[in-house]
Amino acid sequence: MNPATEHYLRQCQALADLLPGRRVDWLQARRRDALARFAHIGFPTRRDEDWRYTSVAPITGGSFRGAGNAPRPDFEGEDGGELQPLDLAQIDGLKSHRLVFIDGQFAAHLSHPIAANAGVTIEPLGRVLDERPELVEQAFGSVTPRNEHGFTALNNAGSQDGVAVILAPGAATELPVEMLFVSRAAGRFNQPRNLIIADEGSRAGLIERHISAVETAPATGRAGERGAGTFTNSATEIVLGDKAEVDYHLVQTQSAAAYHICGVWVRQARGSRFRCRTVTLGGALVRNDLGVELAGEQAHCDLLGLYSVAGTQHVDTHTTVTHAAENCSSRELYKGVLAQRGRAVFHGRIVVRPSAQKTEAAQTNNNLLLSPAAEIDSKPQLEIYADDVKCSHGATVGQLDENALFYLRSRGLDQARARALLTSAFVNDVIGEIEIGDFTLRDALENMLAERLPSNQ
Amino acid sequence: MLSIANLAVSVDGKSILKGVDLEVNAGEVHAVMGPNGSGKSTLANVLAGRDNYTVTAGSVTYQERNLLEMAPELRAREGVFLAFQYPVEIPGVTNLYLLKASINAIRRHRGAEELNAVAFLKLIREKAALVEMDEAFLYRAINQGFSGGEKKRNEILQMALLRPTLSILDETDSGLDIDALKIVAKGVNTLRGADCAMLVVTHYQRLLDYIVPDFVHVLQDGRIVRSGDKSLALELERKGYGWVGAQAGAA
Repeated sequence: MNPATEHYLRQCQALADLLPGRRVDWLQARRRDALARFAHIGFPTRRDEDWRYTSVAPITGGSFRGAGNAPRPDFEGEDGGELQPLDLAQIDGLKSHRLVFIDGQFAAHLSHPIAANAGVTIEPLGRVLDERPELVEQAFGSVTPRNEHGFTALNNAGSQDGVAVILAPGAATELPVEMLFVSRAAGRFNQPRNLIIADEGSRAGLIERHISAVETAPATGRAGERGAGTFTNSATEIVLGDKAEVDYHLVQTQSAAAYHICGVWVRQARGSRFRCRTVTLGGALVRNDLGVELAGEQAHCDLLGLYSVAGTQHVDTHTTVTHAAENCSSRELYKGVLAQRGRAVFHGRIVVRPSAQKTEAAQTNNNLLLSPAAEIDSKPQLEIYADDVKCSHGATVGQLDENALFYLRSRGLDQARARALLTSAFVNDVIGEIEIGDFTLRDALENMLAERLPSNQ
Repeated sequence: MLSIANLAVSVDGKSILKGVDLEVNAGEVHAVMGPNGSGKSTLANVLAGRDNYTVTAGSVTYQERNLLEMAPELRAREGVFLAFQYPVEIPGVTNLYLLKASINAIRRHRGAEELNAVAFLKLIREKAALVEMDEAFLYRAINQGFSGGEKKRNEILQMALLRPTLSILDETDSGLDIDALKIVAKGVNTLRGADCAMLVVTHYQRLLDYIVPDFVHVLQDGRIVRSGDKSLALELERKGYGWVGAQAGAA
């Protein structure tokens, strides 16, 4: 076994006694299977086609440690200032059921789960696994792919806490559920896990956010060494029943020392609607896997994404939309802004199974390169096994329009402002569509973008 | 106010302006006319600071300063305004946003306070009325989907808002029907004043019926070959540019 696999295997074993649901037989059995699988497959390398442009060496070569090997985080910390970044993490005007996790552990006193309606369960997943595991037995682990990579196996083997949202038929979350994951201790390795079960005709609004509580310096030395970053390996499963509607948002604004492997797995039944908006502005290395299976007829998914990289950031987006039933439609629009030596990967896979006639699938990936040293690898991959389908894909890579820049400057805007304005205009159609019910994340995102979007090379 | 001396400019190694001399004083309106390819638009763009033009000789002094050394935004803040021949479409940025950013950039530069939202809206509505522009255009993306006439009116709206000291109108009449031309000219005329000057670059005399110049210059093959008053424009209209060329050749 290679040393990285062995290291994380040991971490998992050491943490086993701290995991929720450890007296639940079916869960423990699944964990054992996943751990065996992880031991067998290990971590992906660049020799794997799906990881060709992304090296996970900073993670596997590092020595990140799970919470079991460190004192439990002291949320109430005497130095009251330490939690301040959480205040900053409030999104102005957003009323939500808020569940906060710090280094993988539920922070009850920072959470505001507002009393939910009948038929709506919003709780830490760990509590559900400990107290009412039968609620999630069927769904837990049912959406993650069978031929998963090592990171997903690792999460299956040793996931910590996260959010469970369980909606009875016809129920609605009303307020969005905000799942806030905070990475705090440097060198720490966390495995959050969320499970969303939206039964027939139910509606849910969700925001999964990943932030860093402390700005640690960008990893220059070995990742995982003290002061050199955090590693989060998260998984979210979403199951939509017939005609269920789920709006899911993933917002990643960690520090430039955060490593995040993020899996989101979705299965949709007949007539369901799933909308996903992903905004990735932070992190040293972020890998987002989004897998959506349109399993019932007339289901629709709409996937929008924005990634912005600068410095030496690396963001890898892999989407897999599987059309498994007739008359389903999918739309994907991902936009990237790449500055300095930033790198991004977009791999959009669309699979149309033989049974999925009358499929409509559209995929677009547009990239704005602000620097000659930035790099984007964009790869559409269509696998179509049905003959009566409409599928389209397009990828573009461009630069800022010099004529537009001159126009703005000739009206008195300085170069940096003009570049920033054109850059945010480029992503405007993505962030303009980011809203949950009546609440739009647009203003909050525009502010985050203004701070983060690199306007210069 | 503006003093152009022996200005020579090339684009991609090709010589376009070959020694232009022009003096523009406050309160004056100068028309620069000439056939296609004579260098009219090059002159306008060089004054506004567009890249890709190489000044190979000569100087441009604006309000006692070397204009050619100034960044485009600095020129704008110091009162130079170019109304574009082809206004640029910018999807994703509203007209209103640009107008506000623009006036406040200029106000900051002049040490004035930024306009608040209420004062700005009042001002911009007044200016929009001047060019008979429907308020809905303020909320649309810059020039996107605008007709030719709407784009030109939008340029004059910006000009009216920013109140430049030196306005350069590059072929503002191109693509305009007569009604739009009148609206544009009316807007421009209200901005004439003793403190400001205008350089009106045009191929046709038509615009000069409405924006009456104090001086008319004929640019041909990169040089001003003839200057006169407004009657020169009428004469050109009758006799064509060939006439000036022949005269210049004979001289």
